Amino acid sequence: MKKVLEGSHAVAEAVRLSRVTVISAYPITPQTHIIEYLSDYVADGTLKASFLKVESEHSAIASLVGAASCGVRTFTSSSSQGLALMHEILHWTSGARLPIVMAEVNRALAPGWNIWADQLDSLSQRDTGWIQLYCEHGQEVLDTVFLAYRLAEAVSLPVMVIMDAFFLSHTYEPVDVPEQELVDRFLPAFKPKFQVDADNLVALSPLVTPNFYMEMRHNMAKAMEESILQLAEIEEDFSNIFGRYYGPIEPFLCDDAEIIMVTSGTVTGTSRQVIQELREKGEKVGLLKIKLFRPFPSEIIRKALGPAKKIAIIDRNFSFGAGGIFAQEVRAAMCNLSDCPQIFGYIAGLGGRDVTTDLLEDIYWRTKKSEVLSEESIWMGLQEENHAVERS
Amino acid sequence: MPLNVPEQDYMYPGHVACPGCGAAIAMRFFLKAMGEKIIIVLPACCWSIIAGAYPQMSLKVPVIHTAFETGGSVASGVRAALDMKGDTGTTVVTWAGDGGTFDIGFQALSGAVERNENFIYVCYDNEAYMNTGIQRSSSTPYGAWTTTTPGRSWKRMRKKNIVEALVAHRIPYAATASIAFPEDLVRKVEKAKDIKGSRFLHVYATCPTGWRIPSEISIKIARMAVQNNIFPLYEVEDGVKYTINYKPKEFPVREYFKLQGRFKHLTEGDLAEIQEMVNEDWELLLKKAGD
Amino acid sequence: MTEKKVPSKVTPLFFARSYLSTEDNKTGSWRFLRPRYEEKTAPCSVACPAGEDIGRIEALTNQGMFKEAWETILRENPFPGVCGSVCYHPCEAVCNRGEFDEAVAINAMERFLADTARKNEFKPFLTNLSAKKEKIAVVGGGPSGLSAAYFLTLLGYNCDVFEAETEPGGVLRWGIPQYRLPLPVLERDISLIKDQGVQIKTGIHISKEFLKEAGESYNAVFIGCGYSRSRELEIPGEDLKGIKDGLAFLNRIRHGEKPRLDGLSVIIGGGNTAIDVARSVVRLGGTPLIAYRRRKQDMPAFSEEIELALDEGVVLKELVIPVSVVPDKGDYIVTLHYMRIMGEDDRGRALVEPDGNKTEEMRVKNVFKAIGEETAESWCVPPHKGEGVVTLNNSTLDCRTGSAVLVFGGDLTNEIKSVVHAVASGKEAAIALDILFREGLDTVESKIRDCLVGNGSFCSMEIYMKGPRFDRSSHVVSYSEINADYFYLSQRITQPRLLREERLATFDEVNLKVSASMAIKETERCFNCGLCNQCDNCYLFCPDLSIVRDKTPQGRHINYDYCKGCGICVVECPRNAMILEEETNEESAGRESCGS
Repeated sequence: MKKVLEGSHAVAEAVRLSRVTVISAYPITPQTHIIEYLSDYVADGTLKASFLKVESEHSAIASLVGAASCGVRTFTSSSSQGLALMHEILHWTSGARLPIVMAEVNRALAPGWNIWADQLDSLSQRDTGWIQLYCEHGQEVLDTVFLAYRLAEAVSLPVMVIMDAFFLSHTYEPVDVPEQELVDRFLPAFKPKFQVDADNLVALSPLVTPNFYMEMRHNMAKAMEESILQLAEIEEDFSNIFGRYYGPIEPFLCDDAEIIMVTSGTVTGTSRQVIQELREKGEKVGLLKIKLFRPFPSEIIRKALGPAKKIAIIDRNFSFGAGGIFAQEVRAAMCNLSDCPQIFGYIAGLGGRDVTTDLLEDIYWRTKKSEVLSEESIWMGLQEENHAVERS
Repeated sequence: MPLNVPEQDYMYPGHVACPGCGAAIAMRFFLKAMGEKIIIVLPACCWSIIAGAYPQMSLKVPVIHTAFETGGSVASGVRAALDMKGDTGTTVVTWAGDGGTFDIGFQALSGAVERNENFIYVCYDNEAYMNTGIQRSSSTPYGAWTTTTPGRSWKRMRKKNIVEALVAHRIPYAATASIAFPEDLVRKVEKAKDIKGSRFLHVYATCPTGWRIPSEISIKIARMAVQNNIFPLYEVEDGVKYTINYKPKEFPVREYFKLQGRFKHLTEGDLAEIQEMVNEDWELLLKKAGD
Repeated sequence: MTEKKVPSKVTPLFFARSYLSTEDNKTGSWRFLRPRYEEKTAPCSVACPAGEDIGRIEALTNQGMFKEAWETILRENPFPGVCGSVCYHPCEAVCNRGEFDEAVAINAMERFLADTARKNEFKPFLTNLSAKKEKIAVVGGGPSGLSAAYFLTLLGYNCDVFEAETEPGGVLRWGIPQYRLPLPVLERDISLIKDQGVQIKTGIHISKEFLKEAGESYNAVFIGCGYSRSRELEIPGEDLKGIKDGLAFLNRIRHGEKPRLDGLSVIIGGGNTAIDVARSVVRLGGTPLIAYRRRKQDMPAFSEEIELALDEGVVLKELVIPVSVVPDKGDYIVTLHYMRIMGEDDRGRALVEPDGNKTEEMRVKNVFKAIGEETAESWCVPPHKGEGVVTLNNSTLDCRTGSAVLVFGGDLTNEIKSVVHAVASGKEAAIALDILFREGLDTVESKIRDCLVGNGSFCSMEIYMKGPRFDRSSHVVSYSEINADYFYLSQRITQPRLLREERLATFDEVNLKVSASMAIKETERCFNCGLCNQCDNCYLFCPDLSIVRDKTPQGRHINYDYCKGCGICVVECPRNAMILEEETNEESAGRESCGS
């Protein structure tokens, strides 16, 4: 059924339809709407779940470690500072091989306080062993929650469904909310691969000596790798039922493109328009949206970007002392190609600043005109220096 | 007469607790009283090691090892999951040290008991961060040497009164217990088992290694702590009803301190001061109990 | 795309979850101290001349195993009824519980067990060892003679007891008043001795000549004819008719006489006979006064007896000696000379001398002398140490004649003339003879030493026979070695007694019976020093689950595979029945499992 929903509401609807059993969360702007909707569902019985209103994000994720260890489907949601606070348990979750799903609303990290869109919060958690899926719009966010549960439970790893603050979380869009039977068909009840109960004598997550630790980590790595193949199968299943398909990456007009712009999140939507316009002007330009950031689908990306001459990567994040994080990952994936395209990294939209069509077009022309890489990262849309200088 | 303690054990030998470990004894008694229909949530503490390294386990009950500060939160999640699965017969137990309870895990614990989560939280208290090598905690008593309160910088702050902090949450049941008084301990565990909501047990557990005492007096020291009112045995129901379970004759604290290497620097003056503190705390407790 | 990768059917899932027990870790290899079960010796059992296993007796009584407890007495003492009534119980004086609150009422418990055995007609399960060829004659059917015969019988010897009186028992029958030792109690003990196989021939007076011919029928003769003659005062008037001999007076009463004794009677002496006479005088309507040369605390009589006597109205006059007795109009004028204290001897007794010419005259109806007894016949005096003579703690062996070996015992050799010392003497003599016959004279002294209880001077038959007591350490447990935290202050039972008024009118037994529940309560107080009473503290407090129950008499053993040697079991043993030693064999530490 088509509804006009804000992104947060779409997430909540997906969680409801996924028949999540235990929810635990702590409010943080801009995630609050998600948990408010869910509170209503649990309160009015629309969703038969236990919702723990814990005292911190740390406890939110930790309590789900407990719940998921008992073999039930779990959900949490957070953002920015909250996600940072969870960091320790994010590692724990994946190491314990718990299929927890989280909706992560990308928000900038303080100081100064900033509640607006910025990917550094989730990208800072890239090594925690969570699968990360970045979403572009309301429908995708809803669908991705279903995909996330299927994937998490298939490979016994946690999944983060990631969406930009406000641009997605608080933006109303038409969304097709599927019927419960369809969802149930795609996402049956959770059959845990292991669980703790009083009749099941096991000690989860004990001390592990150097004799075993490395093998366990290698096993996790294999599961991560496996998840790319799993996701492909799951998406096939999904498209068969729902008629929609996303893929780990989504190429747009890339086939004969000489320059490919690479985006993630809501910037992708704006970019589509720019690329369309540039194509109409005869420019050989394409767009590659990266949805699956962890595991990083290097091989698929190499295939998609390899034929291009230049690549312009737009990062709404910055790893200090290194560069835009997507740019680094793409460079790393591409570097061993014999005929590697030139790769340009652009930083744009940090802390919720608009990434406008003009700015994106500017990026294209700059890329086209540049013969050599002048900087590792090109910060776009910076104001005049003196404008920002602190007055004495 | 043999002490009246249930027969069944739920622990294996071969665990790696230090010789004379009070925490190991505490677990033994606790499980005897609890039985096997439980899930133990085990945040980082000495017991993370005692419970066994992969692929071994020293307990005959299921365990979820968790991060240091998550005793309250992980247990909340386990309880929620079991309830949703319709498993109301299994008791969820958090078994944490003083570091995980008094300090790093206090927030999660406070949160959990404020929500009156239906679980038993046991703090086995060995009065410092023992697993990491004897660093002070907020449970370390006034006067104690630790590796982070060395030499003349011995700890000059009083031990946090954790039971009172929990009582302030008005939980249904909070009690102290000691490894030297197994019958009392067992009775309290059995009582806690039959109560719904958040239950807190503060169990005094000697640490021969960290307290610099010979292992064989592990129980004796625990007994003395009760006898001289350093660790009174009492229980509080619904945050208001105090019952003191053991009222000792007047025993001076001096002997207790003299037996322990961690207090060897204390002067007679210091001991007199500590005696005052102990007396004051005891008076306060008597008042609360209306005795 | 050249090939399509397909996800594997089984997701890799190798992560941290434990499922095996820790039993493979043999933590015993950490151990540098080794706990071990080791029963030790209780001070009461050392002080008991009969060497009774008191700690065990109290433990069994506490468990309601009255027959077993009673049999445990019988292994060391054939007179549980008699000793339960009249023993001066030196055990209680050294009871560790005395330092905690009050000594355990060991004596009352012994009597309780004897009474219980009598009431239920228990038959003891005590088998005599296989028959030996040697025959032994016992001269005197008193406590030492009967004890010697009893223990010799247990050891497999054939014994004949020769008793001059018509009934056996000696001083027990004729010298101790019934209000202290009722006849049925005595007869029950004697009948059990007979049941064990002892032959008692009464009405046979043994003379010196018998000894000369004894060698033909007997390999040894035990001489235990006691001190039956009162010592002389050696003062003017002593020979007057009517000046009575205390022991003879008691004998007459036991034979059924009940003379009326109005007026004041003076009893000279401070021993048990003096007290018995005085208390008998009370019961015969008289007013007794005891005249004693030293102070009350110096009296050889047992203090409990003195207190009861004073309670019954006996008057004690200290620091006086009689100097003359003169008859006067049917009364006697006794002149007492006052004494003064010069100091104290090494045992703390007052040293006295006449206090100038200070005297006092006293008009009395009767005068009893009870200043002690001596042997009636000179041949009963044991020889001094020398070639062929072995002087032991409580008996003397004389092997000089080459025919029958002579053994002197009882009052003849004992410094303290008590029933329980007589038992000690008879037992020691029996063991000594067994050693002599089996291994020869040279080993007697050392072998006797091997069966002494603790570091004391009294033998244990069970130790001699290498029963379970043999394995105990001779270390005597002191109060500081008891973990007093496991005991609560509790009052010693008050021995129920006849009311004072009831006592004065009759010779009925003063002490009343103790009930089973009282006995169980009282024996709960016993520390059972050095003995395991299966309290299970070692098992309970072991952090390493290394105490394993089994079917051995110990009931449990230590699994050294896992025991880290923390020593908690040893400290938490309330009774010091364990020991912590340095681990000597490092090689074997943690590898051997000390099973049963």
